[in-house]
Amino acid sequence: MTPRSEIFEVLAKVCADPMGYARAWKTRTGRRVIGSFPMNFPSEMAHAAGALPLIIQEAEDPITAGHGLLFPFYCGFTRSAVDQAAKGDLAVLDAIMFGDHCVQLLGAADAVRVALPDTRVIFFQLISSMCDPWTLGRSKESFEKLRFELEDFIGEPVRDDAMRASIALFNRGRQAMRELYRMRVEGRVALTAREMQYVVKSSMVMDRAEHLELVEALVASASENLPQPEKRAVRLHLSGHFCQAPKPELLDMIEGCGAIVVGDDLYHGYRYISTDVGEEGNPMDSLARWYLDRNTGVPCPTRVQNDVDWDAFLLDAMRKESAEGMIVLMAKFCEPHMYYYPEVKEAFEKAGMPHLLIETEHESMALEHMRTRVESFLELIKRRRGVARANTPEGEVA
Amino acid sequence: MKKHVMGIDFGSTTAKAVIVDMRGRIIAWSVSHMGAVSDAAVHEAVADVLTQASLKQEDMGRCVSTGYGRRMLDIADKNFTEITCHARGAVAMVPEARLVIDIGGQDSKTIAVDANGLVAQFAMNDRCAAGTGKFLEVLARAMEIELEEMGDIAMKAQEELKISSMCATFAETEVISLRAEGHSKENVLGAVHQSIATRTLGLVNRVGKKGPAVMTGGVARNKAAVHYIEKVLGIPLILPETPQIAGALGAALIGLDDYKAELAESGQTIEEDYEVDAQMAFDKACVTGCKGDPAEAEKNAPAVTGKLKSMMSNLQKHF
Repeated sequence: MTPRSEIFEVLAKVCADPMGYARAWKTRTGRRVIGSFPMNFPSEMAHAAGALPLIIQEAEDPITAGHGLLFPFYCGFTRSAVDQAAKGDLAVLDAIMFGDHCVQLLGAADAVRVALPDTRVIFFQLISSMCDPWTLGRSKESFEKLRFELEDFIGEPVRDDAMRASIALFNRGRQAMRELYRMRVEGRVALTAREMQYVVKSSMVMDRAEHLELVEALVASASENLPQPEKRAVRLHLSGHFCQAPKPELLDMIEGCGAIVVGDDLYHGYRYISTDVGEEGNPMDSLARWYLDRNTGVPCPTRVQNDVDWDAFLLDAMRKESAEGMIVLMAKFCEPHMYYYPEVKEAFEKAGMPHLLIETEHESMALEHMRTRVESFLELIKRRRGVARANTPEGEVA
Repeated sequence: MKKHVMGIDFGSTTAKAVIVDMRGRIIAWSVSHMGAVSDAAVHEAVADVLTQASLKQEDMGRCVSTGYGRRMLDIADKNFTEITCHARGAVAMVPEARLVIDIGGQDSKTIAVDANGLVAQFAMNDRCAAGTGKFLEVLARAMEIELEEMGDIAMKAQEELKISSMCATFAETEVISLRAEGHSKENVLGAVHQSIATRTLGLVNRVGKKGPAVMTGGVARNKAAVHYIEKVLGIPLILPETPQIAGALGAALIGLDDYKAELAESGQTIEEDYEVDAQMAFDKACVTGCKGDPAEAEKNAPAVTGKLKSMMSNLQKHF
């Protein structure tokens, strides 16, 4: 069995250079790479078409060329994606699929079209009203249109049996990753937030069969004598970041302050792996159903879901995880998040659940300043815990 | 048993040290100004406070650090953030305080606190130095005056000017421009302090103006800052005698809690606690039905056990 450290080394390398992985994969296999923006794109479809589906990631590089195409008041993810396009980093992609999840993604799609005039851009729209009688039908229509455009691009049909095989493979991947989440909540495995991000983020990039093998090895290795989490650490839930991965150094800082992340609803986390696609029947019906189900599994503020509240979902998830507080990671200029945050704040205050808002940016992070805020937040939780027990303060050991 | 505890606030521009006894009373305090997060300053403050108290570092039952350099101190047993420590220290200095405004060298924060000095909510300047001690320092340099003079000069402002920038560097440009337009130093400095007050009001509104407000940190000694903040808040600020040591005091008191908890766990009697409890009982004639003679009343009082029983048995007549 591959040792845990070697597995994480592979995953970390993919996360650090997704396009590098894609280039190497393309050279190795001679097959197409199809990029997509994050959120609800059914990667299974591109996989069934024989391509490597790759969700475009926010890059570490400072934005330079992209400034000529997109205003600085767009979110970090969209500006970074456009910057990568302008610098030629997305040249490895044979096609890019966009969905209209927010105004900023729409703007970025146009800018990418300008930057990559020779790359096939496939645009699809998904209904955002999730509870209407026609929602399921409309989402199926969207996926069928997407399939039609994809078939037009590759020049051959995407077969149903190939779709079913891809769906099954992706489901196994999601299930393996969810098992890691379960094990972490139950304390059966010590996984840092950075490591968990490596696991999920790499699954958005890598050959899925290759990735599955590594994740299943991780699950199996959990029974080995692994380091157990610090018992006095504050159990935290992370929420937010619908499109881009929080910077790993931010996650390290949070856990370094004396917390363990036991759950999240991050896109590069539980949001991405929460829901499986039905393996029986017509795969297009299953994908349409999946689109609806994943928004009740982990609600997203870009969708209008009348029957599930995001704040209630968060509080319930935290109760199940025995989380003591939540850190909200809000990407600067993320309008859907800004719009819904007041509701979350109000619900958390009403429930007496501590939470801390941290706004993140592509360009910079005053990490030391943030550390003071996170430490204060954890001290607040620990001292409340201390008061509840025996009036014993529990600061960080110097 | 050791009978003292030390708190150290290793700040961005000054180092503060406080020693308290087992009842939380300040025995000695010291402030050293020696530049950004300076090892020399912190050692000086610690040495000074030990000398004042005629104690050695080994006499400390606990040493807790706070401030930006809190993790750099080998002598500290634990460290806590400035937010936690200022909350605790401010409420110890001003028990009725429910809002703490702390403006330090590199950050400003507002903290909603409870009666125990525990943080309920907090907000910090999160982007730049505007509204902090560093902001004043930069602008003092731009105005070619000493930092200590700023408050007094600003109090003489006659005209209301506006500095709108949120960035210390851009504010400096605005100050230079206002001076170039012929505005007096007094009026420009009034605007500088008004700008700090506006930033502070924003932070206060993020945690809520929920009760008496106390101001801590070095900027609390600046008259103009206090004046303008009071004006925008619409409530008076309570100023402790030594606002700059609130963080170090809070650290010491948190250390004291920790030390006492450890002593209690190991079954050691804390003499000072006992004395305090006995004194309180004596003062309040705590025995039910006491008419001035607790010992007499005790005979008819319901049975009590444990610490209270031991305490009552030591009471003397108080008439």
